Amino acid sequence: MSSATADSGKKFRFKLPFSLGRATGPLIGLLLLCAFLSIATDSFLSVRNFLNILDQVTVIGIIAVGMTFVILIAGIDLSVGSVLALSMMVLGYLNVEAGLPMGIAIPGGLAAAALAGFVSGLIITEFRVPPFIATLAMMSIARGLANMITNGSQIIGFPPWFNMGAIIRHGGFLTMTVAVMLVVFVVAVLFQRFREGGRALYAIGGNPEVARLAGINVKRATVLVYTMCAVLSGLAGILLAARLDAVQPSIGFAYELDAIAAVVIGGTSLAGGTGGVGGTIVGVLIIGVLRNGLNLLSVSPFLQAVIIGLVIVLAVAAETFKFKGK
Amino acid sequence: MKLDLKSMLAATAVVAAAGTASAQGVGIEKIGLAVPNLQADFFNQIKLGVEGYAGKLGIEVIVVDAKNDTATQVSQVQDLITQGIDAFIYIPAGAAAAAVPTRLARAEGIPVINVDREPDGEPGDTVIYGENVLSAYQVCSHIIGLAGGEGKMVIVHGQKGTTPEVQRFQGCKRAIDENPGIELVAQQWSQMWSPDEGFSIAQNMLQAHPDVKVIFGQADALAMGAAKAVEVAGFTDQIVVGGYDGDVAALESLAECDTPFIVTATQSTQAMGVLAVNSAIAVYHGASVPARQIPNAVLTTCDNAQEFVEKHP
Repeated sequence: MSSATADSGKKFRFKLPFSLGRATGPLIGLLLLCAFLSIATDSFLSVRNFLNILDQVTVIGIIAVGMTFVILIAGIDLSVGSVLALSMMVLGYLNVEAGLPMGIAIPGGLAAAALAGFVSGLIITEFRVPPFIATLAMMSIARGLANMITNGSQIIGFPPWFNMGAIIRHGGFLTMTVAVMLVVFVVAVLFQRFREGGRALYAIGGNPEVARLAGINVKRATVLVYTMCAVLSGLAGILLAARLDAVQPSIGFAYELDAIAAVVIGGTSLAGGTGGVGGTIVGVLIIGVLRNGLNLLSVSPFLQAVIIGLVIVLAVAAETFKFKGK
Repeated sequence: MKLDLKSMLAATAVVAAAGTASAQGVGIEKIGLAVPNLQADFFNQIKLGVEGYAGKLGIEVIVVDAKNDTATQVSQVQDLITQGIDAFIYIPAGAAAAAVPTRLARAEGIPVINVDREPDGEPGDTVIYGENVLSAYQVCSHIIGLAGGEGKMVIVHGQKGTTPEVQRFQGCKRAIDENPGIELVAQQWSQMWSPDEGFSIAQNMLQAHPDVKVIFGQADALAMGAAKAVEVAGFTDQIVVGGYDGDVAALESLAECDTPFIVTATQSTQAMGVLAVNSAIAVYHGASVPARQIPNAVLTTCDNAQEFVEKHP
């Protein structure tokens, strides 16, 4: 146990400058991007547009938080988009087809997602299947199940207040969906900074064997992290259902790549052990602001794809150079 | 005032025909165009139609491509509205979620012109789509006729639940029902109307039913993929493939006439783009437009494909 404290103490000393250092680069990038867009187009700098951006990043933002924890323990979760679709379809089935109230349908959707994540976690820890493969399999399974619920069709017909939750801005600012995202951000940052469980993730990502010897229940933590990531994907799915006022099983295709991009741009290393939710939030905003800004500048959709790719390369390459320089 | 607008519109139409209109005559400056997926030639042709015609009128067109993701499309429509578009030409991505962008635009009082697909429960000011039922009936009748009115048939559907998917099946089913010798042995749905899906779906179908004689792909991309699968399987002489849309690549292939893919229905995509812009101008000025505007598609075989290759309608 004493070695555990020593270990986490050491992590702390390294962690603080790293976490700031790793998040400051992207943060400066975000501010520069905003400054550029404010000058380049007069429709960018307004409260309304800023609120639009928050609206637009809600889904990917919440998924990216879960993905950050997974990547921190040197894992990866490719199933988030499919799990999101599964949760949405379960929600739609329970509420519209089975006629159950939202109070049951929403927990139902989250439970389906949690189960998917729990199974992924078990496959990784008990059968020692690499996370890439395990979640690749879950990506396929969850997508198939989502399609089976309605045989590929969409479901519409949610109660009116559900869609209004994504449209009405309470006090002129917060939609219910954005509020949920902000709560997730705050809770995740607090958990990662101040809870023992949060600190343990860094230890596992740094070296799982050392973490295990230090008394951390690595298996349990790993299963919990994948379950939590899936629950957050499910939650994102429910918010997306509110935003779209409809669910369809083909939704969420390739969302895992957006989430991974946001985490990486935010300075979390795919090797695990360094980075954090703070950087990820900045990464999510960079992607959101960039997409929004390119639309506002009427950049051709084909060129947009090129630019977004370049920004990902730039962000990660800049980090690498910075660390080489040290 | 109303008379003024009407005469202005009439003037617009006249000058537009001459191709020398200016923005002042039109009244709108910016049109937003939301497209599901520019990889699909059909949507790209509509985009070209809108851009070409709006360019002549001096209207700026802002195009956004949702890459088939409904959530992306909602975000893009928010951005279009932020840019102060005067009219919104909207092709919903996917089957679901179509209603929300219409609601967003309506809340700002922006005219909504739907093209190709129409949201459930939230119609725009007008919808422009290619006639599907009759043309699909013609395509299927043609390929069934070539097969001698009997034998096994398979259908490669488009994205399940979309308007064209439903209506093209309806039309084709009529042709099948009229020919009791035709047996529909398999149907499968694609997600993105893409040629690789057409190829793999058809390949599996041929594996299960090697004696198929007729294949209907609900879009040219699907049909051409299916035709490729037929060639690979070595069934070229035994099977005829029909498509739909009149994509540029499909028309070129028909003009060559060297694959099992031998008929399609060519949609007036560029004309639909022009119609969409004109409708946007009309609705903006408070003039009434028909709730549905349905240009016909033209049955296109190896014989008449060349003229469409030279000039797409």
